[in-house]
Amino acid sequence: INHIVHNGGLYKRPFNEDFEETPMLVAVLTYVGYGVLTLFGYLRDFMRQWKIEKCQNATEREEQKDFVPLYQDFENFYNRNLYMRIRDSWNRPICSVPGAKVDMMERVSHDYNWTFTYTGRVIKDIINMGSYNYLGFAQKAGTCQEAAAKVLSQYGAGACSTRQEMGNLDKHEELEKLVARFLGVESAMAYGMGFATNSMNIPALVGKGCLILSDELNHASLVLGARLSGATIRIFKHNNMQSLEKLLKDAIVHGQPRTRRPWKKILILVEGIYSMEGSIVRLPEVIALKKKYKSYLYLDEAHSIGALGPTGRGVVEYFGLSPEDVDVMMGTFTKSFGAAGGYIGGKKELIDYLRTYSHSAVYATSMSPPVVEQIITSMKCIMGEDGTTVGKARVQQLAENTRYFRRRLKEMGFIIYGNEDSPVVPLMLYMPAKIGAFGREMLKRNIGVVVVGFPATPIIESRARFCLSAAHTKEMLDTALKEINEVGDLLQLKYSRHRLVPLLDRPFDETTYEETED
Amino acid sequence: MNVGVAHSEVNPNTRVMNSRGMWLTYALGVGMLHIVLLSIPFFSVPVAWTLTNVIHNLGMYVFLHAVKGTPFETPDQGKARLLTHWEQLDYGVQFTSSRKFFTISPIILYFLASFYTKYDKTHFILNTTSLLTVLIPKLPQLHGVRIFGINKY
Repeated sequence: INHIVHNGGLYKRPFNEDFEETPMLVAVLTYVGYGVLTLFGYLRDFMRQWKIEKCQNATEREEQKDFVPLYQDFENFYNRNLYMRIRDSWNRPICSVPGAKVDMMERVSHDYNWTFTYTGRVIKDIINMGSYNYLGFAQKAGTCQEAAAKVLSQYGAGACSTRQEMGNLDKHEELEKLVARFLGVESAMAYGMGFATNSMNIPALVGKGCLILSDELNHASLVLGARLSGATIRIFKHNNMQSLEKLLKDAIVHGQPRTRRPWKKILILVEGIYSMEGSIVRLPEVIALKKKYKSYLYLDEAHSIGALGPTGRGVVEYFGLSPEDVDVMMGTFTKSFGAAGGYIGGKKELIDYLRTYSHSAVYATSMSPPVVEQIITSMKCIMGEDGTTVGKARVQQLAENTRYFRRRLKEMGFIIYGNEDSPVVPLMLYMPAKIGAFGREMLKRNIGVVVVGFPATPIIESRARFCLSAAHTKEMLDTALKEINEVGDLLQLKYSRHRLVPLLDRPFDETTYEETED
Repeated sequence: MNVGVAHSEVNPNTRVMNSRGMWLTYALGVGMLHIVLLSIPFFSVPVAWTLTNVIHNLGMYVFLHAVKGTPFETPDQGKARLLTHWEQLDYGVQFTSSRKFFTISPIILYFLASFYTKYDKTHFILNTTSLLTVLIPKLPQLHGVRIFGINKY
């Protein structure tokens, strides 16, 4: 039963998300692939130990062989036997601005990826399908760059202090007022690093005796922040509102584990767009649940700010909801604004509290002034306050690119995860060898993609992830689609049987076990 | 920390045996092993069945009960480093469906092997000892137990 029928009244627009099930043959072949790789890994380790093959890993010195071992060699098994073979698809050095097209330094390896040497050649004009450049503000010329260059010549490059000491520039105050206006909240605070925003502010908001309900696929920064805070963490199935409601009910009925006291606070951690799945959070239902059970909501809009919504205000605007319903709105400036850093927005009392009690406010260096200016200019451009319609055009271009790209890929027969409107497009590869092959074939055809495999994703769900941008023109997308089509035929990646499975029917095992803390 | 991963699962090894298609792959693997052994002209049918049983149990013992830890780094500060894969399954919860499946499959293989070897004495001794080596470590009472300190660290 499609559960949207139950809560359909909360949604003002169709919510189309699907995660097609792995075909059984593909799953079996994937396991066979990993099995063969494991057996060959054991063989190579045996040869390395008996000195038949040269060992290029870090090992202890001869005189230290009798000590307790310094390096865990089994924990490194996956790294040296699987990752090293396809390592050239990651950490590729680029040498130009990561816009719609990027230049990359060519590197070769003569010993199967253990070491790399640069040939000196630069591969020019690679279509960039991997950078988080949703609105195309990663440019080296234009109003944002000129404004940032002017501020650089006026303020210099570094702020040289923390916000609490001498590093609070008037630019920071201007930025925070602008961010608050952009989001529609009372007040906002900006930090120099998006990861640090999450990991340093969640401990300031919750502590021991509080409960955190976090989505299964939350980002590492949210997980780290939750663990650092010392609160109890319970995980609900990805985007599954029945699972969240069950956890909320249990928390309120049973209270804290042994003492049965009520929880001091219940905080729900969700993201706007999940970058590995391309799914959008079911915000209307989360807000309805939050109000019913009187808990707080922390929304991490790292990938959705600027990318969703008719005027780019994020997932709250996409669903037509009010920003006052979300207690803590967090986001980053890295993805859509072409800069670096993160922000937290909310009520004035909350932000004033964070200004004093958050670690990154007190100890971290404040944002660099040219970066602040880049954000101010790009945000004003999106809001239309610079007098042009460039911002609105970019938001619309991104939405059109997203719909077009996803539709074409689905028609070609690939399995694509995620929501129809999300600019993050994961294309399923499944088999370990195809991860390396896809990355290399796409580079040969001058397209740069990001591929991910186990253990970053579940064992049978390795994928290639495309990040669309408003800077991609239709010709670039058509070229990319043509090449993806060719590579898909070459590597036989067109698994789709065109059977759409809505998220609730997704075959997660019904019972999952969590690590108990002893 | 969960460095480089996109989920909050502390130890992915716990869920590998539950994932889609793993049981089918395992059954097909055993079937393939048996067909290969049957194709070798020197082995009679009883010998092929006993060899399948013994090799399967040997492989299962090595991969589930002898190898400890995870082949990748996990953010659990080494809690799983001293545990075999069997002990890591589902974070130590007993009687889950994967554990039941992997307990029953060597028993089924044993029944088939006993039938096809016509309950001959030598084959019986071989098959039973090999079955015991793979069944006893699966008992919940032996969770984390290392007899005589073998394989402790």
